Amino acid sequence: MSDNGDILKVNNLSVSFFTEDGTAKAVQDVSFAIKKGKTFALVGESGCGKSVTALSIMRLIPTPPGEIVNGEIFFGPRDLLTLNKKRMRGIRGNKIAMVFQEPMTSLNPVYTIGDQIIEAIKLHQTKSTEQAWADAVEMLRRVGIPDPQQRVSEYPHQMSGGMRQRVMIAMAISCEPSVLIADEPTTALDVTIQAQILDLLDQLQEQNQMSILLITHDLGIVAERADDVAVMYASRLAEIADAKSLFDDPLHPYTQGLLKSLPRLDFEGKRLHTVPGNVPDPLHFPTGCKFHPRCPLGCDDRRCQTDEPELREVRPGRCVACWYAPGYGR
Amino acid sequence: MAKTYEKKDWGVSYGEMVTREFMKNKLNVACLVFIVIMFTVAVLAPFIANDKPFIIRIDGKMHYPIFKDLTPNDYSVFFVAALGLVQLALIRRNKKVIEPSIRGSVLLKQIKINALILLTGLILIQVFTPRRLDATDYKAMVTSGKATAAVFPPVPYGYARTDLKVREQPPSKQHWLGTDDVGSDVLCRLIHGSRISLSVGFVAVGISSIIGVFIGAILGYFGGKVDFIGMRVVEIMMAIPTFFLIITIVAFFPRSLLNIMVIIGITSWTGNARFIRAEFFKLRKQDFVQAAVSLGLPLRNILFKHMLPNGIAPVLVSATFGIAGAIFIEAALSFLGFGVAPPTPSWGQMLSLGVSTTGRFLWWLSIFPGLAIFFTVLTYNLVGEGLRDAIDPRLRKAA
Repeated sequence: MSDNGDILKVNNLSVSFFTEDGTAKAVQDVSFAIKKGKTFALVGESGCGKSVTALSIMRLIPTPPGEIVNGEIFFGPRDLLTLNKKRMRGIRGNKIAMVFQEPMTSLNPVYTIGDQIIEAIKLHQTKSTEQAWADAVEMLRRVGIPDPQQRVSEYPHQMSGGMRQRVMIAMAISCEPSVLIADEPTTALDVTIQAQILDLLDQLQEQNQMSILLITHDLGIVAERADDVAVMYASRLAEIADAKSLFDDPLHPYTQGLLKSLPRLDFEGKRLHTVPGNVPDPLHFPTGCKFHPRCPLGCDDRRCQTDEPELREVRPGRCVACWYAPGYGR
Repeated sequence: MAKTYEKKDWGVSYGEMVTREFMKNKLNVACLVFIVIMFTVAVLAPFIANDKPFIIRIDGKMHYPIFKDLTPNDYSVFFVAALGLVQLALIRRNKKVIEPSIRGSVLLKQIKINALILLTGLILIQVFTPRRLDATDYKAMVTSGKATAAVFPPVPYGYARTDLKVREQPPSKQHWLGTDDVGSDVLCRLIHGSRISLSVGFVAVGISSIIGVFIGAILGYFGGKVDFIGMRVVEIMMAIPTFFLIITIVAFFPRSLLNIMVIIGITSWTGNARFIRAEFFKLRKQDFVQAAVSLGLPLRNILFKHMLPNGIAPVLVSATFGIAGAIFIEAALSFLGFGVAPPTPSWGQMLSLGVSTTGRFLWWLSIFPGLAIFFTVLTYNLVGEGLRDAIDPRLRKAA
């Protein structure tokens, strides 16, 4: 991976939650880089640490019990983890914005849509209320809300889920951030609206030269929209690749399993493949490679059971964490 | 540009929904009317019950003694009431004339300007109004024929005027509700006493709400150790019987109205703090609060602009009950002799005169102030209940 063109670099990020039952290592040693103007997808099962990674970038991990124990997050030349609270506030919403999973509850029910959008604009830019309001109308128009003049002074409960997600996106892009973190932006929406929202993100990305960190568990979305993909399993990255090579030639047995379990149009009559077993409990991770109890390769190799493979570049632009991966070098 | 903005039926804010629900109940409306009447009476007290005439002709010259006799406090009350009316009128006008987009910020500006006018006005009034004492007995002048064409208020007695000839008299044509132990008219003192009760109610609840909301917000938002230590302090406060604490504190301070308001205010915030803390615990995990943080808003805005309006409902309800409670505490303090010093009239103090030093039971001194306290407290409690039902219709179904 080349350094130039990277807008956001996460290096060796580790996040732990210190609970009464023990320490849950939610994210361990995660590194990746997002290129300018590209979409980077972070894929994984529920509870594998995707959202925690995203929240760490925004420094929104609830502390306590959570804590970023190690790592650096470079946004340009600055390490976000060393910024003070005030400067971090200047980044949030302004340079890096976030769209949440649940559009139904992500808007404040007591204010109109317009009031909520202009709040962000007025906070980060020196604009009068009238100007900010005009901007808000323009943003709503850009995210495809019909009759924005009228809708801007409505309350969230007067809008549908898809509309609200559009409003959330309008809010997030209102200050033209260079990175947009979309944490499962379409999970709560039905399929046609999903496609619309994703098209909208694509379109806005093109207009603003914005990078998107797309967090999802939907491999279909990843195949269609992402430029680069990182697969996450049990708090660690299993594999990083550009989207095409990941789908053509997955290297990690977990990625292979996931791709095999996708339903296909040309695949009739048989039961879908499943990855056997469950995601391990973050309080009691297995020793060695965390995937070894579920691994189809058998893993009679003692090494899988005792030593954890780290992410290594096996080919230009392809990183994987598996002792069996070709070129990994045991 | 006389452009008007029609209010659409489906474009209602939360506040408007609650108001509409509240107004559906006839009892609530009746209570509101009662409160408005009480406020009017309290504000206009010197014009309703006063021993000075509006107009009087002495030696062929017209005099207006009632207007000369107004104290700085009277002017302050008028001023506050007038500003309140202006603000209400402005809110009504905003809805018609101001564009919806900037309505919120315009309203905020208006409130800020009004608050500024209020403060400076109050200070100016208190400093510059002359304090004079007009001890002329105008009624004697009328009866002796020295003065003519006198127009007296409906209750032509002063609350501080004593008349030992008519002490401890039952209700009669002259004194509709009788007189007390020094011959003051009971009705007049009741009317002036409403000022004390209402101002104690509102100011004390204002103080306790502000303290409670502020402390509750911080405990609820931060949680953890802050919350643990804070809640222990709140619990210690709650464990102390408030009324005895108030009596103890009052005993150490001069018996002024302001002191009583402040003392009731700073001893009764614990309930509000607990309500707000509980609401904030629930709210801080909500997505829109996370979203507000992720937009880079400062903590102050998140706490008081985004979270507070969503969690204020229980405090509003408890504030209405709190007004009733504060009125009650003030009456009790005055009854026990810890309230405002005579001759300032107070309902509780009048109540305590019901059993006179001679051992007679003066029923009119017990019944009328008692009824005043009863109805005021009842009204505020009913309003509180109506508000609670309007805010959370589920509660009403359960009841």
